[in-house]
Amino acid sequence: MADHNPDGDPTPRTLLRRVLDTADPRTPRRPRSARSGAQRALLERASSRRLSGQTKTIAKGRSRGARSIGRSTHVQARGHLEEQTPRTLLKNILLTAPESSILMPESVVKPVPAPQVVQPSRRESSRGSLELQLPELEPSTTLAPGLLAPGRRKQKLRLSMFQQGVDQGLPLSREPQGNADASSLTSSLNLTFATPLQPQSVQRPGLARRPPARRAVDVGAFLRDLRDTSLAPPNIVLEDTQPFSQPTVGSPVYHSLPCTPHTGAEDAEQAAGRRTQSSGPGLQNNSPGKPAQFLAGEAEEVNAFALGFLSTSSAVSREDEVEPLPDGVEEAEKKMEEEGVSVSEMEATGAQGPSRAEEPKGHTQVTEAEGSQGTAEAEGPGASSGDEDASSKAASPESASSTPESLQARQHHQFPEPAPPPGAAVLSSEPAEPLLVRHPPRPRTTGPRPRQDPHKAGLSHYVKLFSFFAKMPMERKALEMVEKCLDKYFQHLCDDLEVFAAHAGRKTVKPEDLELLMRRQGLVTDQVSLHVLVERHLPLEYRQLLIPCAYSGNSVFPAQ
Amino acid sequence: MALVTIVSQKKQIKRKAPRGFLKRVFKLQKPQLRLEKSGDLLVHLNCLLFVHRLAEESRTNACESKCRVINKEHVLAAAKIILKKSRG
Repeated sequence: MADHNPDGDPTPRTLLRRVLDTADPRTPRRPRSARSGAQRALLERASSRRLSGQTKTIAKGRSRGARSIGRSTHVQARGHLEEQTPRTLLKNILLTAPESSILMPESVVKPVPAPQVVQPSRRESSRGSLELQLPELEPSTTLAPGLLAPGRRKQKLRLSMFQQGVDQGLPLSREPQGNADASSLTSSLNLTFATPLQPQSVQRPGLARRPPARRAVDVGAFLRDLRDTSLAPPNIVLEDTQPFSQPTVGSPVYHSLPCTPHTGAEDAEQAAGRRTQSSGPGLQNNSPGKPAQFLAGEAEEVNAFALGFLSTSSAVSREDEVEPLPDGVEEAEKKMEEEGVSVSEMEATGAQGPSRAEEPKGHTQVTEAEGSQGTAEAEGPGASSGDEDASSKAASPESASSTPESLQARQHHQFPEPAPPPGAAVLSSEPAEPLLVRHPPRPRTTGPRPRQDPHKAGLSHYVKLFSFFAKMPMERKALEMVEKCLDKYFQHLCDDLEVFAAHAGRKTVKPEDLELLMRRQGLVTDQVSLHVLVERHLPLEYRQLLIPCAYSGNSVFPAQ
Repeated sequence: MALVTIVSQKKQIKRKAPRGFLKRVFKLQKPQLRLEKSGDLLVHLNCLLFVHRLAEESRTNACESKCRVINKEHVLAAAKIILKKSRG
């Protein structure tokens, strides 16, 4: 494959381009040589590695394309029949259609029987059958089915094609009983596929079995990951360039991440803030590992991150960074980068960093700071000063990565801004990070402490009871309404009690007054007495205080 | 906010009565009056029942208007009725 891959690891797309461009007139079907087979296998593995490594490349067809490209390139280059996915076979056929007479009937017939071939072959186990039927299959051929996790049909088709080739080339393939239709169909095709199986493939039957499962997972996960993640290769580089992000985040923090999706929609601000904090560091923790993971093809974690992001974002409705996440593939990437960035920032902040990461207070401070910065962002990315911009941009990466962290403050501020700037801001934010970090977090604005707070604190108890009794989700404004109602109610209550006490000529409100009040309210009736209500609604301790009960020693408490 | 903030439900509530709060409120409202020691518990009971009725009424209003969330209007309409009932 050297000739087709002069550069170290061309993308499958480039390979495909080359393949298509070259349009090698030579028939792709040639007897496979052991060398080519081995090289193909190597190339496939390399392509798979490349695929996993290059997250930003095209998503779906790429793996297949890569494989097919690899195969086609191999084929074209060497004129050997690789294991070929059916796709590659088709490609080759189409490319070389006019050349060889053998191909002609194939080209015509092949597309038709291909699907048909697929159907019967599909019934059998994809890879296992393939392997069983073609034990001598080249490792590439067996690998191909493994690689083509989604392309099961193609594998079958390929098998059928193989069958032809095998029948023609090798004496071994008698298997295709299951693919009777396929074989019958494919026999008509009689391509130059009749290249005998490579001896190498025969030599390596064991290798064939190994990769499939893993490949499939990798491919699928990789495709998913490709779709989900952004496409900027430099991002990976950026991630790599921040090794110090790793030590900051401890693995235990990562465990918080799974919790975040479950927390769901709690009280948005604080709970979300806490959760996001934990998830942020957790995410950051994973970000350093991401490049390696990507390379390894383990995109599941990334997906988990994306999911975690999504969940957290959904949980906190207002996350500006997170909102675009579903829309933007970039978001996840940027966030990961930003996580790394923010992590580094956090480290830079030192005491603030850990406090931010862990303390809700610090978090709020950070959110405040970020919120202020975010407001600056909202006003205009290019607003005021470059430093401010940088700071805001850096804040946005901070928030982006620590979107969980800065959710609260950000909610109201940056919706559209952070999304576009973070990408560019990441680069600029890195140098600006130290400046950003030094920004003192805006001091919390404390509301009027004096009277209202304890009053509201007391009322909040009844407001919570209201939401508990209602058993339905409520709006915040509705709760404020309930507070007002409670205020009015207390006023009425006191007035009534005053009237009742005055009516009884007392200056002290006694329980009889209360009972009278409840009777007038309709709560206490002839059927339902006060004691009944007390028993129903009050805990035991209060009941003991309210309802006289006889105790030992001929004593009654409370005394009547 | 264009978005509606919905407060999640509490699954567990405290059953304690904010006795100090109730006493303070009564004192602020009617400094000339005195409240007996068990009186605030009954006041608390009264509040519980009031809130309970208010919640039920609000819930009914919300269900009637086929909303899944209790709105301000539901609470307002319910409060009118219940406050009138609680006038004594």
